[in-house]
Amino acid sequence: MSNNTHERAQQLIAQRRIEGVSADEQSWLAAHLVECDLCSAVDAQTGAALSVLRSTQIELPRNLASRTQLRVRLRADELNEREPGRRLLWALVAISWMIGVATAPLVWSGFEWVGNEFGLPKVVLISGMALWWLVPGLLVTGAVVIQKEKTQREAE
Amino acid sequence: MTWAAPFKTGLRFSSLMTDDTKSISRGLKQRDPKLLDLLIEQYQYRLFRYLVHLTGNRERAEDFFQETWVRVLERGAQYDGKWKFEAWLFTIARNLVLDWHRRKKPQSLESLSGPEEETSFDVKDEKSATPLETFLNEEQREGIQFSLTKIPVVYREVLVLRFQEEMQLEEIAGVLSTPISTVKSRLYRGLEALRGAIQGGAA
Repeated sequence: MSNNTHERAQQLIAQRRIEGVSADEQSWLAAHLVECDLCSAVDAQTGAALSVLRSTQIELPRNLASRTQLRVRLRADELNEREPGRRLLWALVAISWMIGVATAPLVWSGFEWVGNEFGLPKVVLISGMALWWLVPGLLVTGAVVIQKEKTQREAE
Repeated sequence: MTWAAPFKTGLRFSSLMTDDTKSISRGLKQRDPKLLDLLIEQYQYRLFRYLVHLTGNRERAEDFFQETWVRVLERGAQYDGKWKFEAWLFTIARNLVLDWHRRKKPQSLESLSGPEEETSFDVKDEKSATPLETFLNEEQREGIQFSLTKIPVVYREVLVLRFQEEMQLEEIAGVLSTPISTVKSRLYRGLEALRGAIQGGAA
């Protein structure tokens, strides 16, 4: 029997357990295992190792579930307490954007007036307008980041 | 890190499971405490076993176990019920272990724990042995369990997911965020390593 035959058999022994083999491969392997002690031993050893792996029992730490449930509940309470604050924050963001959109023409005419009065180039006016729009968003982002870091520190 | 979208393989689960996963998804979105209690009870053994195999350390596994459930609570809204809950749960657990390890040392899971720094698993003395276990003698069993601790964690992890958790290759690929081909190659090498370790132990 050639080395290739044993190699193929041993490849199929693993493949059968990992991803399955075709019916033809299965019958070829079965026939080979009947007449080859070496591959038959590999097959038995693989099967035994996996059986033990499957049946290995690990002892759970005492009250693991109840301790975890308690911790999760405490965290849930914390999150629920913060929920109204977070909702208020998002409501404020929404309101500020709506006001921003509604007042944009007015603000732009204000910027234009300032620009005319002081002879500022248009690029400065546009930058000023962009800043006007960005500031509320930046403030909220800052608030969210700070809150997130605080939460992370508490969790650690 | 994204917790909700590790499944790029397009795997869908059977319709039998859909109702369960959908109700879990709804409950998690509402942070239903009863559902969380139930899930913790139901998955405690499998999650803890996975974490013990992943970290090689019971105390650390316990910390990660609790942290995983806190994350499930916090990120529950991201679970959409399209995937098996346990696959999502294991992904969270694995990402936590990886994050912790990256903070500690900027390395990947491959170097998570070498055999030299691992303790052997605290294996329960089983009274209710299966017929096959009865067939195997105690020495052989302990030998194989010890051999498992000598296998690199990347291989051990896939062996555990495939043969203990009985996950499909696609599910494992989802948990690990790696292609199926990588999962397969790790499984082949892991099986070879397990066999080699046993042979080495027996020699």
